[in-house]
Amino acid sequence: MRPSPTGPDADAPLWRAAQVFRLVTVAYAVGSQFSTVVNYTRPGLSWFFVGVLVTWSLVSAVLLSREARLRRTVTVMDQILAVALMAATRLVADHDWYSNHQTMPTTLWVANAVLSAAILGGPLTGIGSALLMSVVSAVVRDQINLDLWRDATAPVLVACGVAMGFATTTARSAHRQLEQAVRVAAATEERDRLARQVHDGVLQVLALVQRRGVELGGDAAELAELAREQETALRQLISEQDTGVDRGGENADLTALVRARAGTTATVSAPADPIMIPRDRAEELAALTTAALSNTQLHAGDGAAAYILLEDLGDEIVLSIRDDGAGIAPGRLDEAREQGRMGVSKSIVGRAEWLGGVALLDSDVGEGTEWEIRVPKGE
Amino acid sequence: MAEINAEAHENTTEERGTVSVMVVDDHPIWRNAVGRDLEEAGFIVVAEADGVASAARRAAVVRPDVVLMDMAMPDGTGTEATRAVLEVSPDSRVLVLSASSERDDVLGAVKAGASGYLVKSASVHELVDAVLATARGQAVFTPGLAGLVLGEYRRMSNDVADRRPPPTLTGRETEVLRLVAKGLSAKQIAARLTLSHRTVENHVQATLRKLQLANRVELTRYVIEQGLE
Repeated sequence: MRPSPTGPDADAPLWRAAQVFRLVTVAYAVGSQFSTVVNYTRPGLSWFFVGVLVTWSLVSAVLLSREARLRRTVTVMDQILAVALMAATRLVADHDWYSNHQTMPTTLWVANAVLSAAILGGPLTGIGSALLMSVVSAVVRDQINLDLWRDATAPVLVACGVAMGFATTTARSAHRQLEQAVRVAAATEERDRLARQVHDGVLQVLALVQRRGVELGGDAAELAELAREQETALRQLISEQDTGVDRGGENADLTALVRARAGTTATVSAPADPIMIPRDRAEELAALTTAALSNTQLHAGDGAAAYILLEDLGDEIVLSIRDDGAGIAPGRLDEAREQGRMGVSKSIVGRAEWLGGVALLDSDVGEGTEWEIRVPKGE
Repeated sequence: MAEINAEAHENTTEERGTVSVMVVDDHPIWRNAVGRDLEEAGFIVVAEADGVASAARRAAVVRPDVVLMDMAMPDGTGTEATRAVLEVSPDSRVLVLSASSERDDVLGAVKAGASGYLVKSASVHELVDAVLATARGQAVFTPGLAGLVLGEYRRMSNDVADRRPPPTLTGRETEVLRLVAKGLSAKQIAARLTLSHRTVENHVQATLRKLQLANRVELTRYVIEQGLE
């Protein structure tokens, strides 16, 4: 199997984004330290704790974005350090201060622990971590009768945990689906390759049955005829599979559409490259082909063969539809129009004109009938 | 399109006895069946091959007049085999016999020097006529091949990236190819354009020759530009 296009580490982008956030929170925490240190009872110790915060933040940011194996350990450490640093607030400030302000590492920085937990374990783990941090914060700050309307710590942390948790779940399932799609594509490719081999073998045998059957005559000739029909059908199926891959979009391959409409009733000759034109025009030309072919089957007589030639002149498409049937005498063409062939002729001419082109009918007794339809490609 | 060489049949039996044929196909049943048909018709089947490498090896030794070439083989495509065979035996003529409708492949083989294309479901009669026509140096066309060749000339003339003037068809050649693509036989084309049968043949042949020449020039230029031997 080919390697997965996204690699095995589906969470990596989320982890890296979270570390950018972490560095922002460090700057905020250090800024907060500068503005509040004058209010601390033990400023020296508080600087030590902030040093621990900065060091751990840098170490963990590097580890989380690079070492997939260590993420679980680092996340656990994140929780422990966040709790410890919040608790340390009591060592550096008095009750008056910490009961009315946020803890020393700041709520914003504590959110890192919640985000790590959410990315590691999904929304529930994220909520768990958020609740743990909220409770620790409330206990440290001696705020058992927590006023959620005045202090948004808990709701903000829980929201962070839920949001990041769901983002992780979504990223993982998208990754799984992508891997699955890649596997399916590889399997399909292999199956197509096998099918081509099988088809080739079957076509060989059918061709062989035809040649021998015709030589032997009698019942064998009937078998040859059956083999011929099946060969044509299989060839048709293969050519539809090969060229009929419709990728949707505004343009469509005229050759594929015409081949599909012609089926086994006509030989289609066309350039090797697909003729891509606006979809509605391609559909219209295909419908026109069907109309002309059904006319052939009605009037050309038994055993008449039909041929379609598609030409791409750059800005113009030429579609020729010819049968080698009975044909119509020139003088009788008008007569024929009045006899009911007119309906079909009119519809073909009408469609061609609607596409901004022309349709010409050429026929003679014993020479078959030939339509030549020229329409601009249109953009 | 076997009618393209619906000439007098009197001398042909004798003529077939001088034509050596090599059958290249990876299916042994098919090789045997075609080989037998050709021998019954009077041709000399001098060799069989089941792949690209063996085809080139044997062609170098036996120098067959005509090589009947399958399009899909285990060790490569009919295009590669055509190129390889013509390299070691330039006077051989390659007639592609394809089972499935590998359209791009057929065009590739023809550009590489194959002088015609026939579907495998063609009758023994058509096959015999086509081998004889190929031995005579004529081009064997199906309507499908004519459509591909027409498309290829138009593609080349629209390819602005090409620095040299691309090969072009004369008005008559285009006219003849279009009629072949619409399923007319050489005889019908001759009648419709009031040309001789021979002239129609020559026009058809010319369309292939120019395409192959352009392809060879293109290949040579590519080789020189890349500094390869």
